[in-house]
Amino acid sequence: MKINKGLSTYAGMLALAGGLLAAGNAQAQSEATECIAPAKPGGGYDLTCRLAANGLEKTSMIDKPMAVSYMPGGIGAVAYNHVNGVRDDDPNLIVAASTGAAVNLALGKFGQYDADDVRWLGALGADYGAIVVNADAPWQSLDELMEDLKANPGDVAFGAGGTVGSQDWMKAALTAKAADLSPRNLKYVSFEGGGEALAALLGDHIQVFTGDLSELKSQLESGKIRVLASLSEERMDGPYADIPTAKEQGYDVQWPIWRGYYMGPNVSDEAYQKWVERMKELSESQKFAKLREERGLFPMSRFGYDFNDYVLEQVDQFESLAKEVGLKQ
Amino acid sequence: MKLAADRLLGIVLIGLAAFVAVQAINLEVPFSYDPVGPKAFPLGLAILLAALASVLVVKPGTNEAWPGRQLGMKLLLVLATLLVYALLFTKLGFIITSLLAVTSLARIFGTSWGKALLTGVLMAVVSYFLFAHALGISLPSGYWLEPLL
Amino acid sequence: MFDFLIHGFDVALSPLNLGLALLGALLGTLFGALPGIGPINGIAILMPLAYTLGLPAESALILLAAIYTGAEYGGRMSSILLNVPGDAGAVMTTLDGHPLAKKGLAGPALGLSAVSSFVGATIAIIGLTLFAPLLAEVAVMFGPAEFFALMVFAFASMAVMMGKDPIKTAIGAVLGILIGTVGVDSSTGVLRYTFDLPELYDGIDFVVMIIGLFAISEILLMLENANRKDGNDGLPPLGRVFVSLKEVMACKWTMGRSGLIGFIIGILPGTGASVAGAVAYTTEKRLSDKDNSFGTGNMRGLAAPEAANNASAAGSFVPMLTLGIPGSGTTAVLLGALMLYNITPGPMMFSERPEVAGGLIASLYIGNIVLLALNLPLAGVFARVLTIPRWVLVPGIAILAFVGVFQLHSNLAAIYLMLIIGVFGYLLRKLGFSLAPVILGYVLGGLMEQNLRRALSISGGDLGILWQSGISLGLWIAALALLLLPWLLPKLWQAKTSKA
Repeated sequence: MKINKGLSTYAGMLALAGGLLAAGNAQAQSEATECIAPAKPGGGYDLTCRLAANGLEKTSMIDKPMAVSYMPGGIGAVAYNHVNGVRDDDPNLIVAASTGAAVNLALGKFGQYDADDVRWLGALGADYGAIVVNADAPWQSLDELMEDLKANPGDVAFGAGGTVGSQDWMKAALTAKAADLSPRNLKYVSFEGGGEALAALLGDHIQVFTGDLSELKSQLESGKIRVLASLSEERMDGPYADIPTAKEQGYDVQWPIWRGYYMGPNVSDEAYQKWVERMKELSESQKFAKLREERGLFPMSRFGYDFNDYVLEQVDQFESLAKEVGLKQ
Repeated sequence: MKLAADRLLGIVLIGLAAFVAVQAINLEVPFSYDPVGPKAFPLGLAILLAALASVLVVKPGTNEAWPGRQLGMKLLLVLATLLVYALLFTKLGFIITSLLAVTSLARIFGTSWGKALLTGVLMAVVSYFLFAHALGISLPSGYWLEPLL
Repeated sequence: MFDFLIHGFDVALSPLNLGLALLGALLGTLFGALPGIGPINGIAILMPLAYTLGLPAESALILLAAIYTGAEYGGRMSSILLNVPGDAGAVMTTLDGHPLAKKGLAGPALGLSAVSSFVGATIAIIGLTLFAPLLAEVAVMFGPAEFFALMVFAFASMAVMMGKDPIKTAIGAVLGILIGTVGVDSSTGVLRYTFDLPELYDGIDFVVMIIGLFAISEILLMLENANRKDGNDGLPPLGRVFVSLKEVMACKWTMGRSGLIGFIIGILPGTGASVAGAVAYTTEKRLSDKDNSFGTGNMRGLAAPEAANNASAAGSFVPMLTLGIPGSGTTAVLLGALMLYNITPGPMMFSERPEVAGGLIASLYIGNIVLLALNLPLAGVFARVLTIPRWVLVPGIAILAFVGVFQLHSNLAAIYLMLIIGVFGYLLRKLGFSLAPVILGYVLGGLMEQNLRRALSISGGDLGILWQSGISLGLWIAALALLLLPWLLPKLWQAKTSKA
């Protein structure tokens, strides 16, 4: 029969491809731990989930590989609602989060749920904001940029990979505030992701890019950009050692972007503590330090109630900034 | 009949354009860095849509024939099957719901119950193993199955 | 100068890497052929596997790049056979590919699309090898104003698709653009048309959109054909299996032009295979559609988008490899894969890690040859999908649609949305709309609006920025020419010959 022949050839090909793969993936499916990345594959949340999944597996702290699933939607709100409404007590589920999620919570973008509606677990790494200009730009230091910004705010276009109110925008807004300029009077262009904004900086379409340190590594090496300041507490090492912090140049702007996790609101204290211990142990291992570095992240270790308080305090801060500039009543 | 469909469509589209415009006007924008803002583009589109739809009302084009009563029922059956498939997808799990959906669809598309059921069983099981095990895609196993596994 | 490439071929031709390229090509074809599971998901699913298997960086990259190229080949299969695009780049392939299959030319259509894909990809890879660093400079010259002009050009080129019912084509495009405005406004962060549903905040996802619009509506239409009284059940005849050399040669300039267009569009960050396919198709229709047979199964109408979408896939490697800036969603995932291996792409990569840069480019050459060799003889086999009876095919499409959307969203709302869009697509088709303008409006509209607004926030509201640079001015003139030529040319034509 024609039909069967066609089908069987097709199925045969599928089976062949599948069989080859199954060899490497045989035990991947079973009741085990899971990490939800509240975004499409390939973004920062995917990376955050993989950091925990690979770390826990490499250090043999879990015996079965951790599953990573994707739940894009509502800039993270869909996953937040899911964990609050459906899997609110799953002891094996963690969800990736970052400073961006805290910003959205502060702006009330996660609907009916607030920041204290989940159990914040901990952060395994951090990135830091950076103020970047083209290598050909006239500004050699943050001071020079700030002088020009104060004098002619209309001549300096800022750009970053996020909307008004996003964490990328916050970096530009805080920089403006440090120059006594209202964030509303800034010239700001939002792009789809840091990559597009960086391309616009290289092409001189914008003058200042407020990005993250880790995404600048290759441009630093090629000498096409100049990082005027890192928005960290202290100078970073490695390729970033020559970059002064904003603070040491006299502007108190800091912007750590933590990469962490939360769990459902009704997870038992026992399960929560078990995860806290697990994360703590992971962050102290040498193998994990290497993984974190490979992903371009800097060390950050805050776990359990300490982390919970940190996030809630951060959300409060963002909320007052949002009210100040009129983003929220 | 043919003429009426396009006229009706035109009227519906004018309604849609009005809805789009009202929604756009009512957007609350804290502040915008660009002079255009988020309202202008949808508003412009609404005006364009209303204009184009008016042409349709005045000068309707041609349509394909609409399904009759019997075919209409079958269409609704297909849609109902897909809807039920979606409703139960996570609750009963991939294998069971796919079996039901495939059987039902095969039956609606005119084969015998026996063949439909066989297709359902084969397709549900084979695709489950292909997707979940070979390609590593996570599929809902169904809440009821978990204690059994 | 080409030491890195010689070194690269050395790396890529090792038995392990050659095997991986073959495996990747096969898997990629499979991922591309399954609607909804395009290259991005294929790579995202397999990336951790490559990492877990402990493959060295260049081998992992070769595997992933082969999957990417393979998916671009595979995406056309369901476009041609089922009228359901396998991925974004294959939307335009449905326009002439599926009518060809309906005429009983599925085999030759698949064969021709494999050859076109090969030619397009090869043009792009040669371009990548020769000019990558130079092209990177050009790519960054495209700022918001230039992108806006490019979008104006793309919409102007769509005018040729107006065909027999210009009003409905225009309405379709407007509806598509409106669907694209749903979600967070990427400039102000304001929510538009989300009706307080968080599931809509990120907008309507591309996969949900094409699966709903094409696959679900196709199921509903098939029901109609399956119930015809006249005994014609809508199953097309299988017909001839292989594409003839004559047919291929007839399309050689089409492939060349479209490959070039696809490559150039692929280089620009933010525009992808769907834009490349659309521009190539409409350009080709304008240049070579003498008898107005585009859309009814013209071989050139198939070759153009196929050459372009593969060329654009290879072109999107330019900004990734030279600037470290991903030009498409898929290269963004590949960039992530490189980071896992502690390789930061950029101008330094060619000198510091020549085995990676060279190996990747060499594997693109090899992957494409493998894919051509794989696809030409198999065209006849794949064409047999058409002979599968509806009662097997339809449930199969339904399962693929559900799995494709669910694995991407882990969420039922996306599936409901897909069904709603499916009914919407069915109604549109019954009302005499073509789906291509809807999907193009959806893809291009957002880019047009956001780039216009970006440009104007840079200039502080001065419209002059929109045609200030040579690039944007050139695009405006080209767009104007596109709109005026069809109106002017016949008049010139008539002046020369009396009949027209």
